[in-house]
Amino acid sequence: MAFLEIENLNSGYGDVNVLSDISLSIEKGEIIALVGSNGAGKSTLLKTISGLLTPTSGKIIFNGKDITGISPDKIIRDKIIHIPEGRKLFSDMSIEENLLMGAYSRKDKSIMKDLDNTYLLFPILEERRKQKAGSLSGGEQQMLALGKGLMGDPDLLLIDEMSLGLAPVIVDDLISIIKDLNASGKTIFIVEQDVRLALENSNFAYILDTGSITLKGKSEELIKNPDIKKAYLGM
Amino acid sequence: MTLQILINGILKGGLYGLMALGMSLIWGVMNIINIAHGAFIMIGAYITFLLFNFTGIDPFVSLIFSSSIMFLIGYTIQRGIINLVIRAEIFITLILAFGIEIFINNAALMIFSADVRKVKVSYGASNFNMFGVTIPYVRLIAFLLAIAITIILFFFMTRTKSGRAIRATSQDLDGAVLSGVRVSRIYAITFGIGTALAGAAGTLWAIIFPLSPTMGGSLTLKSFVVTIIGGLGTMLGPVIGGLTLGIVESFGTNWFGTTFESLISFSILVIILIFRPKGILGKGKE
Repeated sequence: MAFLEIENLNSGYGDVNVLSDISLSIEKGEIIALVGSNGAGKSTLLKTISGLLTPTSGKIIFNGKDITGISPDKIIRDKIIHIPEGRKLFSDMSIEENLLMGAYSRKDKSIMKDLDNTYLLFPILEERRKQKAGSLSGGEQQMLALGKGLMGDPDLLLIDEMSLGLAPVIVDDLISIIKDLNASGKTIFIVEQDVRLALENSNFAYILDTGSITLKGKSEELIKNPDIKKAYLGM
Repeated sequence: MTLQILINGILKGGLYGLMALGMSLIWGVMNIINIAHGAFIMIGAYITFLLFNFTGIDPFVSLIFSSSIMFLIGYTIQRGIINLVIRAEIFITLILAFGIEIFINNAALMIFSADVRKVKVSYGASNFNMFGVTIPYVRLIAFLLAIAITIILFFFMTRTKSGRAIRATSQDLDGAVLSGVRVSRIYAITFGIGTALAGAAGTLWAIIFPLSPTMGGSLTLKSFVVTIIGGLGTMLGPVIGGLTLGIVESFGTNWFGTTFESLISFSILVIILIFRPKGILGKGKE
């Protein structure tokens, strides 16, 4: 069985069903991408995995354990961390406090060691550790969001729209950090509107269109697929 | 004379600040305007009165009991009742708090009757003189305790994990949930702390002023005015708001007479709302 296994998932907001019969699987140690246009249901899927939304039917199995419909704090303790779209940082709190909030549900002794590691990964955050999160630039805030996510010591990292509104140089930096994290053993599920970026930097990808998965395959193959080229890459 | 009026105002203002601290916390974190806040202050005052009359516990010492008992009451009310409607509009929680207030007031009227009581401590009338200003010991100690409790809350909110989680929850609810915060528990703790602060304020109030089961209404209004004057979203807000109200009230009642006390506090409220709608230090939403 795969690391994360989703079977026939239906989910949405209240009476509005957004996702219909989604099935996908993520293998350990991979970078998986979920791409699709605005409103396809990408964020809804992530919110359902992290427990912000409760599915109406279907199953989510992580690491052999059924996590369908359990509360977000328990899912976080199972080591799935969701970095949401719009980052959702605590803007009036310092960078360090935001990072410590990332480790809120942990009780182990290595939180301070992970804080040092996070600062090693993002030196800019250490320089500004006392500064309020709201005073950072968009790119720095995304770094903080990533750092905060890492403070939760995730096995599976869900990253929603990381590149949105950021300069290409900064996106490149973030991507290379994500690849390093992946090399160090973290499984990463990225959700992107930027289809090219996602396909160029993942092993496997799913295409989501109006709530259903229409296509899946190895990213290197999908990027050559004429339908995808036409629909998403503007060629 | 002017100095005496100013000192009187500052001493009373510190207590106003403590009264509003709990209301401001609950309002800022959960967006609940707790109409029952004054009723909680009243219960705190009666706890002190009862402990003093029946067991002889010094009212200042009873601060520990009133605040812990009120914490438990607040925690339970939030867990059992308010959490059920927490996602509802502010109007719904307002009505619920109003219902809780009516319930507490009438229960208190039944138990204690409408008689006005007083905690008569032996040192109640002692005072000292400094620079021609007379300062009653009880008022000074109450003022210092109010400030000390505010400082303790400040350290709790900034230096502890639970305090951080409370602030995080008030700043970004989804962000807090995705950090693993159990919001219903944090809300119950916040409401418990807010209610404990009301209990502490009630104790200090009972040492200085007479108490009756219906005292809560005007104290809710005072806490409301102080919260608005100081501004939501900062812990210094209630202190500044309390001192402002205390000082203005002290001078105002001296010039115009005590019958104008409420008029004066509401005049400041209106003036602040016109010129600084977010309060003196506030950063909340308009």
